[in-house]
Amino acid sequence: MVGPLYIIAIALGTAFSLGFFKKANRNIPYAIMFLAIAFMTFISGQWLYAFLANQQEAIQIFTAGFQPPFSISLQMGLHEAVFVSMINGIGLLSALYLYEQFRDKGVQMMMVFILLFMGLNVIIMTRDIFNLFVFLEISTIAIIGLILLEKKEQAMSSGFKYLIASGIISGILLIGIIAIYYYNGTLFINDIISSNPLLLKGGSVAVFLTLMAIVLELKPFPVNGWALDVYESAHPGVGAILSAATGTAMLFVLYKITPFIADPWFNMIATIGIITFIGSNLLGIQQENAQRLLGYSSVGQLGLIMLVIGLSPYLGDNYLFIGFTLLISHFLAKAGLFWIAGIIKQKKIKNWSVLRKTPLLMVLFGIFILTLLGFPPFPSFFGKWELVMELSNNHQLAWIIAILAGSFLEAVYLFRWFGYALKKEIKETTSKIQFSKILPPFLFGITSLVAGYYTNIFQGDAYTINYLPLALVLIITLIDFISAKIKNSLAILAMAYYGFLTLPGLYENDFIRFIFMAIFIGGGILTLIAGYAYQGKRKGFYPAALLMFAGLGGIIEAQTTLQFFFAWEIMTFGSYLLIIRGKHSIKHGFSYILFSLGGAYLLLMAFGLMNAQVGMQISALSDINTHLNLIFSLLAIGFMTKMASLGLHIWLPGAHAEAESDVSPMVSAILLKAGVFGLLITILAMGAEYAQHSTLLYILGWIGALTALVGNLAASFQEDAKRLLAYSSIGQLGYILFAYAMATHLGWVGGFVYVINHFAFKAVLFLTIGAVVLRVGTHKMYEMGGLIKRMPLAFIAVLIGIITLSGVPPLSGFAGKWFFYHALISKGWYFQGAVVLFAGIIAFLYCFRLIQSIFLGQLKDNHRKVKEISIWFIIPIYTLIIGIMIFSARPHWILQPISEYIAPYFGRELTWNGSTAIAEMGYWNGEWIMYIIGVMFVLILGWLLYTNAKAQKVKQFNIVYSGERPFTPETTHIAHNMYAGYSKALGFIVEPYITKLWNNMSDAIVQLGGLTKRIYNGNGQTYAFYIIAYIVITFFLVF
Amino acid sequence: MENLSLEIVTLITGIALLLIGIWGLLTQKNLIKMVIGFALFDTGIHIIMVSIGYVKNRTAPILDQAVKTNQAAEKIVDPVPQALVLTAIVIGLGITALMLAFVLKMYQKKKSLEINNFNDLKW
Amino acid sequence: MNDIIVKLLWTLLGLFIVLNWGLLMGATMRKIVARVAHRYGIPFYQPWLDLIKLYSNRSSISHGVMFYLGPVFRLGGGLGIFLFLPLIYGSEHFSNFSWAGDLILILYFQFFGMLGMALGASDGGHPNSVIGITRGLGQFTTVEVPLTLAVISIALQYNTLSISEIVAAQQGGFQNWTLVTNPLATAAAMLSLLGLFREAPFNLVKAPNEVPIGPPTEYHSAFLGILRTNGALLHVVEAALFMNLFFGGATHWVEFIVKTFLVYFWSVFVGVVSPRFRIEQSVTWFLKIPLAIGILAVILYI
Repeated sequence: MVGPLYIIAIALGTAFSLGFFKKANRNIPYAIMFLAIAFMTFISGQWLYAFLANQQEAIQIFTAGFQPPFSISLQMGLHEAVFVSMINGIGLLSALYLYEQFRDKGVQMMMVFILLFMGLNVIIMTRDIFNLFVFLEISTIAIIGLILLEKKEQAMSSGFKYLIASGIISGILLIGIIAIYYYNGTLFINDIISSNPLLLKGGSVAVFLTLMAIVLELKPFPVNGWALDVYESAHPGVGAILSAATGTAMLFVLYKITPFIADPWFNMIATIGIITFIGSNLLGIQQENAQRLLGYSSVGQLGLIMLVIGLSPYLGDNYLFIGFTLLISHFLAKAGLFWIAGIIKQKKIKNWSVLRKTPLLMVLFGIFILTLLGFPPFPSFFGKWELVMELSNNHQLAWIIAILAGSFLEAVYLFRWFGYALKKEIKETTSKIQFSKILPPFLFGITSLVAGYYTNIFQGDAYTINYLPLALVLIITLIDFISAKIKNSLAILAMAYYGFLTLPGLYENDFIRFIFMAIFIGGGILTLIAGYAYQGKRKGFYPAALLMFAGLGGIIEAQTTLQFFFAWEIMTFGSYLLIIRGKHSIKHGFSYILFSLGGAYLLLMAFGLMNAQVGMQISALSDINTHLNLIFSLLAIGFMTKMASLGLHIWLPGAHAEAESDVSPMVSAILLKAGVFGLLITILAMGAEYAQHSTLLYILGWIGALTALVGNLAASFQEDAKRLLAYSSIGQLGYILFAYAMATHLGWVGGFVYVINHFAFKAVLFLTIGAVVLRVGTHKMYEMGGLIKRMPLAFIAVLIGIITLSGVPPLSGFAGKWFFYHALISKGWYFQGAVVLFAGIIAFLYCFRLIQSIFLGQLKDNHRKVKEISIWFIIPIYTLIIGIMIFSARPHWILQPISEYIAPYFGRELTWNGSTAIAEMGYWNGEWIMYIIGVMFVLILGWLLYTNAKAQKVKQFNIVYSGERPFTPETTHIAHNMYAGYSKALGFIVEPYITKLWNNMSDAIVQLGGLTKRIYNGNGQTYAFYIIAYIVITFFLVF
Repeated sequence: MENLSLEIVTLITGIALLLIGIWGLLTQKNLIKMVIGFALFDTGIHIIMVSIGYVKNRTAPILDQAVKTNQAAEKIVDPVPQALVLTAIVIGLGITALMLAFVLKMYQKKKSLEINNFNDLKW
Repeated sequence: MNDIIVKLLWTLLGLFIVLNWGLLMGATMRKIVARVAHRYGIPFYQPWLDLIKLYSNRSSISHGVMFYLGPVFRLGGGLGIFLFLPLIYGSEHFSNFSWAGDLILILYFQFFGMLGMALGASDGGHPNSVIGITRGLGQFTTVEVPLTLAVISIALQYNTLSISEIVAAQQGGFQNWTLVTNPLATAAAMLSLLGLFREAPFNLVKAPNEVPIGPPTEYHSAFLGILRTNGALLHVVEAALFMNLFFGGATHWVEFIVKTFLVYFWSVFVGVVSPRFRIEQSVTWFLKIPLAIGILAVILYI
């Protein structure tokens, strides 16, 4: 095997020999440099392989044949091998990426470049702290040299600031090192560790100074202004090196010296880390410049890993796993993002929409953003998960909250950016992209995916994730260029196969999960059928939809909280992609993902607390015995973000209303049930006894009732048909929340009636209205009217839908009302119940508005020729209607098993006698009601036909109108501001108080960021002052 | 003055230089003066390093006629700081040179040596 | 099979009685209103004449399918309530199909006719119809609130939601009526009833002089005949519902007639001496004193 010293030798030799090629064709020195760094990569890779595959022992190398302290020693162990491989790998790709720059700027830059990587290699391998200092300086000088790849004045001045700052820092480091030598008589790290310098008072100061210098090299907030300037002004390729390579090396140095720092100082490092993580992410929110934003993000990520190092005493065996997964994610993602920034050459993040011109870049961009944020299936997901679990096991809740808060801020700007890239209109076109520039980010993107998979494997059997659905998503992503019709068929097949695999087993074992799975898969297939109505390729739709359904299925199948959370995040991201596809959805998608992430973090916290007590099995949730209220509250609020309960609902109307016609039913009828399912398993785990006296459930009950009221009332005042349906979803989910919060047998059966009904009628309504919108080209109801004449089938569908929705007998909606009445009386929730029933009657207002404004009244002139809705919508719609009819006539087919399932948990309140449901206070026979009403209806219709056989059809305007004839449908069609009087009476209830509240909160955060970022005044001198002040303040805080 | 040994004197000198350097770096608005401040700061550190390695009544760690190899351990001061300071001086020189090079470039671009004129990038 | 036919025949007999009583009661009320206004008023047989005329109109026009179905829904709604409501306590023959569902079924079946009527009238395309419907729906939402609380209150009181059992619990004399045992619930419900029956001050839906006759504006001939039939039926069965819940039910037809008349009379009585509310006034009116009474009625039974 080639010894590690050859890395240094080759780098040095190449750097010197390059000097001979100053006059030659620049391709020659470039080729030499490239080969050199390739060989360095090979050496490190070879060692890495040896350590991984052959159990190679770590080796120590002493230069010049002396023992320390008279020689410099290097170490090559597994950790070193990993890190030098990472460094050299990125070096190789950077060399490739910077090919043009090297050609332009000449040999000097190549020398500087290779010296930089030599410096970083030694920094990692060396066990001598003075040597560390030397090579730190070399790599600093080299990186500042690389800044000159950009000839701008800004790059110059930022380079100068960087020099001043690192000059001071290295001075501090030097003092620290020499002081350590003074107290210990050695520079060899192993000896320093064994002699424990902290025993002496002066020794601890020495270690403190060294530590501070290394920490400052990691650019802690707020002492990092110069670094941000460099990130902003340097060539993105250099930014990638600075962030990924230098940052990684410095983290390794910090890791290397942790053995000789005192325990209390770990808290200091952790504090510095968390301040950096939160602070820089906060400031990132206001950034518009892509490279500076990446700078903030880099600093934040390094802070996070510093935090992990600081918290290592709590992390036990998982310390390295957590630290490394977070590091590798930062490494891959940040380099990748910088590289992409260099390819598209757009300063403003708003202009990153040009990414859409190159789908590959868009996908890579997505991968890197998700990797940074810790989304599955990327390594940082598992890292963050373990971090939270371990901290939770050690009861470090405050740290968890801080970490999640920081992550949330990070998500804010990353998703804002991602949204811009996905949705903003494209202003300029990019020039052709070279292969050499796109290869590095491509490789890193692939690595990130693979690393995610192996991270999970490494994590162990108990954590295994079902990757099959994700593989399907990958396949459909790869064939995204073919026609939508084929992809649609494939997607339906895939869903059907997934259903075939899972549904029979669930039917046998777990009826409730079966119901939800049936809704997810059945609903998915039906809504996908509507997708046949779309022409063209529908790029990006199928990966997103399948991702969402894969997540939904995963939630049901999950046995452990990790699997659940994994699926939950997958589902969240997939649905985000679906939602943001809508024409005006950029801000709706944004608020959706933020609420979802906020909710997900609460879930994560709850799973952590639970893990500390009973482990990760979901079934063990019922065994927890401390922090019950906290855990259940976190879970409930987390799930309620997905259910859009009052207070957490403001994302929903826009997100659902602006989505595409077949996406609205997916995200409304189907997706919302994921939150319901989560809430359901939470309440099941509480058990009857806890639930009986639970204040939490009492509050949830009220929230549910008020959600129903506000949702329904707001729906009544909408002019936009899809917005009306969206608010109606909020209201319906309010009923469901209320029902489950009752935690009684009757309440739960009622809840299931609502879940099933809402799925069916909301899918019918959204599909129908969506299909109508596709035909008439507007969402505004007052611009429609009289469409019954043109689209009778759509009308019938909506009629059935609203009858079911409003709970009018004989359709299944009434079953829900009946259970509600009985349940709320037996539970004793009279007033909440009255609010819910009041809301139920308000539903008539919007139901009527929906059907009257669109289908009845006066047909508009421009709609006289519109056709019936597409057959591809009619098929799923009428399938669902048949389902509603069956459920209405034979409710006991589904409700009886559900009833039996629930009875053991909450005590029996309901018995079935054939099709008659019998509760303590009353009874109901859905089947007979259906028959009686059906017969009666037919009889009356017959009577009318008999007495009125000759009714003559008349034209549109032939109405009793004071002898006049109104000729404009617009003035005769009562639709706009339909409930003006009602709004005058009760409209105050739906004033957007909550939206205002959230807006004020986010404004406050943005303002805080705006104020804080003033500390970066751009003056190098001020930055130097910050360094000194930072050290002094920290010194007095620590000592 | 008797009590004031050489190492204390050098140490105090070093610290004084270091502080003067920092003061210059933080207060002088002229880029060149800032670089000078840095150079003083650096030199201060080097003197401190040397003073730390000093052992009373011993000579420089150079093996020649005056110091025989076999007695070296008793006769010379600690050689390591001396070696280190050489390296540090070289590196300090490199950094100072690079700084001056940047100052030159900056001056060429903006015709100004005021640090306050170079804060386009901020926030 | 015979059982069912016999059952149907009894039901039809009940329907015949209720319908004719409804027509007569309607005529009586109109007469009373006229006399209060110092008019002579219609002859008591006027409703029968109207019905005969309407059903035998030879010319009629239709605005579309839903327009045609609207009256069917409307009569279905009235008839449905009739079918699910036990009329005479203790009479197997006149308890109709009340075994299919309890009080909740009847409360929600009211909407069946309303919804169908609303849709049918809208299909007529007349703006006044829609104006009337929006007012009616809006007002109806809050009318139901005190009624809901009253129903919860009596459900707590009698521990049942089955109408037959509620009536059974009130047997044995005046002192057992809900009116006496639970006056607050009765009060809340009777105030709601004013809104349900839509006499003044809650008659903005039909609003004579404003939106000629509200929703049915476009209806005529047999369509209107069906609506009138339903009107007669509905007044009786709604009154019968209140009779059953609050006034001890009826053990024979005479009692039935007297009690339903008095329940209906209550709304007419208030109506003739009241001006008309605007929509926002009537909507909020039910959320004030009636709501407070309803809440008290429930609190008493917690």
